[in-house]
Amino acid sequence: MRIYGPQTLFEDVQQRGLCIGCGGCVALCPHFKTYKGKTARLFPCDRETGRCHAYCPKAEVDLDELARQSGQPSYPASPAGGYQRIVASRSGRRLAGQTCQSGGTVTALMTLALASGRIESAVLTGTKGLVPHPVRVTHPDGVAACASSKYTAAPTLSGLNAAIEAGRRHIGVVATPCQATAIAQMRANPLQQDDFQDPAGLVIGLFCTWALDTRHLIAFLDQRMDTRRIRKMTIPPPPAEVLIIRTDTGDSEIPLDQIRPLIPGGCRICPDMTAEWADLSVGELEGRPAWNTLIVRSETGRALVDEAARDGWLETESYPSGQLDHLLGAARGKKRRALQQARADGLLNSAPDTCRAALRLDAKTVDALIGDGEECACRY
Amino acid sequence: MENTPGQRHLVMGNEAISRGILEAGVQVAAAYPGTPSSEIIEVLSQVAARRHMYTEWSVNEKVALEVAAAASFAGLRAVAVMKQVGMNVAADFLLHVALRGIRGGLVLISCEDPGGLSSTNEGESRPYAKMMEFPLLEPGDFQEAKDMTRWAFDLSERLGSIVMVRSVTRLSHASGNVTFGQLPEDRPTADFNFNGAMLDPDTGPMINLPGPVTIIHRRQQEKMARAAALFETSPFNRYDGPERPELLVITASACQLYCREAIEILGLEQRVGLLKLGTTWPLPIQLLQRHLALCRRILVVEEVLPFLEENLQAFAARAAARIGIKQFFGKNDGALPSTGELNPDLVMAALSRILDIAPMGRDDAYRRRAEAIFAKGAPPRELTFCPGCPHRASFWGIHNALAMDNRRGFVSGDIGCYSLAALPCGFESLKTLHAMGSGLGMASGFGKLSPFGFDQPVIAVCGDSTFYHAVMPALVNAIHNDANVTLVVLDNSGTAMTGFQAHPGLAVNALGETVPTVEIPDLCRAMGAKVRVCDPFDLPVTQNTLLEMLDDPQGVNVLVLRQICALSPEKKGKKRYDMAVDPQICRADDCGCNRFCTRIFRCPGLGYDPQKGTARIDEVICAGCGVCADICPSGAIERKQRS
Ligand SMILES: Cc1cc2nc3c(=O)[nH]c(=O)nc-3n(C[C@H](O)[C@H](O)[C@H](O)COP(=O)(O)OP(=O)(O)OC[C@H]3O[C@@H](n4cnc5c(N)ncnc54)[C@H](O)[C@@H]3O)c2cc1C
Ligand code: SF4
Ligand code: SF4
Ligand code: SF4
Ligand code: SF4
Repeated sequence: MRIYGPQTLFEDVQQRGLCIGCGGCVALCPHFKTYKGKTARLFPCDRETGRCHAYCPKAEVDLDELARQSGQPSYPASPAGGYQRIVASRSGRRLAGQTCQSGGTVTALMTLALASGRIESAVLTGTKGLVPHPVRVTHPDGVAACASSKYTAAPTLSGLNAAIEAGRRHIGVVATPCQATAIAQMRANPLQQDDFQDPAGLVIGLFCTWALDTRHLIAFLDQRMDTRRIRKMTIPPPPAEVLIIRTDTGDSEIPLDQIRPLIPGGCRICPDMTAEWADLSVGELEGRPAWNTLIVRSETGRALVDEAARDGWLETESYPSGQLDHLLGAARGKKRRALQQARADGLLNSAPDTCRAALRLDAKTVDALIGDGEECACRY
Repeated sequence: MENTPGQRHLVMGNEAISRGILEAGVQVAAAYPGTPSSEIIEVLSQVAARRHMYTEWSVNEKVALEVAAAASFAGLRAVAVMKQVGMNVAADFLLHVALRGIRGGLVLISCEDPGGLSSTNEGESRPYAKMMEFPLLEPGDFQEAKDMTRWAFDLSERLGSIVMVRSVTRLSHASGNVTFGQLPEDRPTADFNFNGAMLDPDTGPMINLPGPVTIIHRRQQEKMARAAALFETSPFNRYDGPERPELLVITASACQLYCREAIEILGLEQRVGLLKLGTTWPLPIQLLQRHLALCRRILVVEEVLPFLEENLQAFAARAAARIGIKQFFGKNDGALPSTGELNPDLVMAALSRILDIAPMGRDDAYRRRAEAIFAKGAPPRELTFCPGCPHRASFWGIHNALAMDNRRGFVSGDIGCYSLAALPCGFESLKTLHAMGSGLGMASGFGKLSPFGFDQPVIAVCGDSTFYHAVMPALVNAIHNDANVTLVVLDNSGTAMTGFQAHPGLAVNALGETVPTVEIPDLCRAMGAKVRVCDPFDLPVTQNTLLEMLDDPQGVNVLVLRQICALSPEKKGKKRYDMAVDPQICRADDCGCNRFCTRIFRCPGLGYDPQKGTARIDEVICAGCGVCADICPSGAIERKQRS
C-alpha cells in the first residue's frame, strides 16, 4: 500500500471527483468534514503521510495486499472475491415485526452481534431527511431503527472513526463495498502504529452496484415530489429498471435512466459488488423480495451466522441454483466495467515510480477479469 | 485647542486643520471617519460645546457634505471632512453644490493617502476641482494647514463657491509647530432665505433645474476666474531661488518639504528655483507666466498623478509664444514615479539626473550602520486580526461553512478591518474587495447568474458602520431583484478600524449625547430579508446557521454576528477567561492536528513551545476571549472563567 498525505488525497480523489463520501478520512483530524453526503476539506495539511490517505478506498488501494492480509495468496480473479459459502437468508422469529429493506438479514445479524457481546457497539447508517449520516448504536434494540437502504453514498465511516478516536474497539459496522475496503485498509495498521489494535469487531457488507450523490438526488426529487413524505426506496430486480419511491401518499416510479446521471464518479471505478472485504456480505435475492443473498467469508462471519440460525435470529436456505450464475455474472460485469474505466482514466496500476493509482492488482488478474466472457446482464 | 492666540504649539497636521476651522468660526462640521482624516472631527467634537458648534459622524460622505451644505445655505460656516475615497461617494452632490453655489463659507477637506498606507487605493481627488470647477488649496506645511483652512472659508464666501482643501497622510499625521490665531466670538444665527428670485444666489431657493443650467454654469466659471485673479497675489504661492535658475521646480503640498530638503542637500540653492503653489486650481496665470519665463527646464513634483504637471503643460503650450518652449520633467517622462509617496531621495535622484550631477552617495558611516541594522531585520509581523478579535471567529465560521458546503462558494468582501480576511488571518475567505458597499452589491449580481450556469454560493460581508454607509441600497437591490445571497454583518459595535467613532447603531453621537439607535436586524427584517443574530464566538451555532442560509435556495438571508471589538474601550485589557494549554493532551505535531491552532487558527495569543513540543498561550498577548478552546480538536486548550 502506498501511503501519501492529505494534500495528495485532496488532489487525487476529491478534486478528481472520485470521492464517494464514505467518511474514511473524516473525524481523524480537524481538516476533513462530511456535509450532505460529501466530504470537504476545510484546511490544507502538509503531512506527508496520513491515515486519511491510507484508508481511502479510491486512493492507492492494493487489492493483492488486502487479499494477503485476509489470508488469501493474492487477489482472486473471481467475480465475488473469496468466500466460504453462499446461502439464501432472512431474519428469523426473534426479529419479528421489523420493516427491513429485503430479508432483514443485516438487522438480525447486527442485533445478535450486539446482544451476544461480540461487539460493543454498531456503526450504522440513518438519515436526516434524505441526508444519510452515521449512527452508533450500543443497545441491540437500536439496530432496527437504521434498517432499510439509503441509496445515497453515506459517510458511515466518519462514525466509525469518531468511535475509534473516543477509544472504542470491537465495533460492528454495516458497510457498502467501498466502505468495507476502507475498513480493510484500517485493519492493516497502515501507519505501523505500535499500540495498534483492530478496531472493527464485525463488518457486514452490503451488495452495491452504485450509489447516488445525496445533494443531486435531493435536488432531483425536490422537483418531483414533497421529499418530506418519502418513507422508503427500493430498486426491484430486472427487468423493472426503476427506482420505486414509497411515500405517505403512494408509490412513484422513476426510470433508472433518469437517475444514473446522479451516480458519483467514484462508483464508476468501483470493482466490488459484493463487499469482498467484509466478514459477511448481504444483498437481495432475485425473485424473492423478502429474502437475502448471504455470503459467508470469514470465521467471525461464519460463527455469527451459525449462532443466528441456531437461536432463531436467521432462517437460511441453500442458494437457488440458477441464481448463482446471475449473481456472479452481475459481479463480474461490474468488475469488468470498473477496471476498464479505471484503466481508461489512468487510475489502474499507474507506473509506481511516477504516477499514483486508485487501484493496484496483478496485471494477469486484470487480464483475466477484463479479458474474457461476454457482458453479463447487470441488475442496475 | 484653547484660545491662545500668538502662541506656538506642536500639533499634528489634522489638529492644525481643526484649529483653522475653529479660527474661521465654523459652526457645523460633519464627516465620515476614514484614515487619515478622522482626527479632525474628533478634535472638534471635544471643543464643540465650548465653541457652540455642532459636529457629527454622518452615515457617509455624501450625507456629511449635505449636512454641511445645509448649514451653509442657512448662512453658517460649515465643513465636511473625508478621505480620498469618500470624495467619490460625495461626488454627485458635490457637482451640484459646486454649480449652484453656497452662502456661509463651505469647505470640503479631503485627506488623501498617497501610497495607500491605510487605504485600498491611492486615488486622487484633485481632478474633481478641475472637473467640477471649484477652487483647490494644498497646504505645504503645518502652519499653512491651519492658515489655509481658515482662509478657505473667507475665499468660499467671497466667491460664493465651495472650496476644497487637500491634505495628505504625511501632513495630516505628522506634527509641526503652528502659531495659533484668534478664535472669533460672534455667532451668526441660522436662517435659510428662499423668498428671492429663482436664480438669486443670496436670497433665492437653492435649486438646480434643467432650464437655467448654462446661466448658473457661466456664473460658476466667473467665480473661478475671480478665484484665479485672487490667487495671483496669494501669500501661499511663493518662489525661492535665483533670478535666473537652470531649473524651475514647481510643487505643492507636503512635496514642497521634500523639494526644499533635496535642493539643500545637493547644494543647488543657486542653480534651482522653487515655486511652491498653495492654490493649485484654478492656476494663477500671471504668476505662472512670470516664473515659467525664468528658465527653459521645469520639474513638477507632486503626489500621485501628474495633475499639476499636465495643467502646467497645457498652460505652457498656450503661452509658448510669450514664454518660449519649455521642457517639462515629472511623471510623464518618468523622472518621478506616478505611484506611491515621494520623498527627498526620489527628488534628489530626479534633480541629479536632470542637472547631470553625480547622484549623491550615502555617508559611508551612515550606510554601514544602516546596513547593519537592516541585516538584523525587524521581527516579521504579519498583517493579522488582533488577539480576541471577533472577526477571526466570524471568518472561522464563514470559511468552514463555505468549505463544508463544498460548492466553491466565496466571500464578496467590503472595506473595514475585516478586509484582512483576504489573508491567512481570515482564512483567505475574501475573493472580491472593492469599495464600501460593494460586497453585497457584487453578491447581488453573482446571485443572479444561475441561468448562466453559475452555481457557487456567495456570502457578502460588511461591518456595522459600512452597513449604514453603503450596504443598505445594495440590500434593497438584492431583495427586490430576488438575488439568492447571504449577507453577514460583522457587528463589532463601532467604527473600529478608524478609532471607534459612533454610528447609527449606537445610542451615542459624536458629541457624546444620547441619541436614538437604528437597529440593523430590524432594518433588514423590514426590508424583507430573513434575519438571524448570533455571537460569532459561538462557533458551532454560527457555522450551522450559515450552512442553513447557504442551503436556502431563495432570497436574501442576513446573519448579524454581534461581538464587541477586542480593542473597544469596554473590552480592552479585560480578560473573560484565563487560558492554558494542557501539555499532556496537546498533540502538536502528531497526526491529527499538525499544530492546528498556530498554523491555521493563528491567533497571536497562541504560540508553539519548541522545547516542550506543544502549543502554549502567551498570557501577555492573549485577550482571553476563549475561542481557541473550541477549535482545538483534542480539547487541549482550557479556559477558566475569571471571577
Ligand atoms: C447504496 C446501496 C446500493 C445497493 N445496491 C445493491 C445491489 O446492487 N444489489 C443488491 O443485491 N443489493 C444492493 N444493496 C443492498 C440491499 O439494498 C440491502 O441493503 C441488502 O439486501 C440487505 O437487506 P436487509 O433487509 O438485510 O437490510 P436491513 O436489515 O434493512 O439493513 C440495512 C442496513 O444497511 C445499512 N445501510 C443503509 N444504507 C446504507 C448506506 N448507504 N451505506 C451504508 N450502510 C447503509 C443500514 O445501517 C442497515 O443496517 C444496496 C444497498 C445500498 C445501501
Ligand atoms: S472516498 Fe472516503 S476516504 Fe476517500 S476522500 Fe472520499 S470520504 Fe475520504
Ligand atoms: S459502487 Fe462502489 S464506490 Fe459506489 S457506493 Fe457502491 S461500493 Fe461505494
Ligand atoms: S493546542 Fe490543540 S490545536 Fe494546538 S497544537 Fe495542541 S492539540 Fe493541536
Ligand atoms: S483565548 Fe485563544 S483565541 Fe482568544 S485571544 Fe487568547 S489565545 Fe487568542
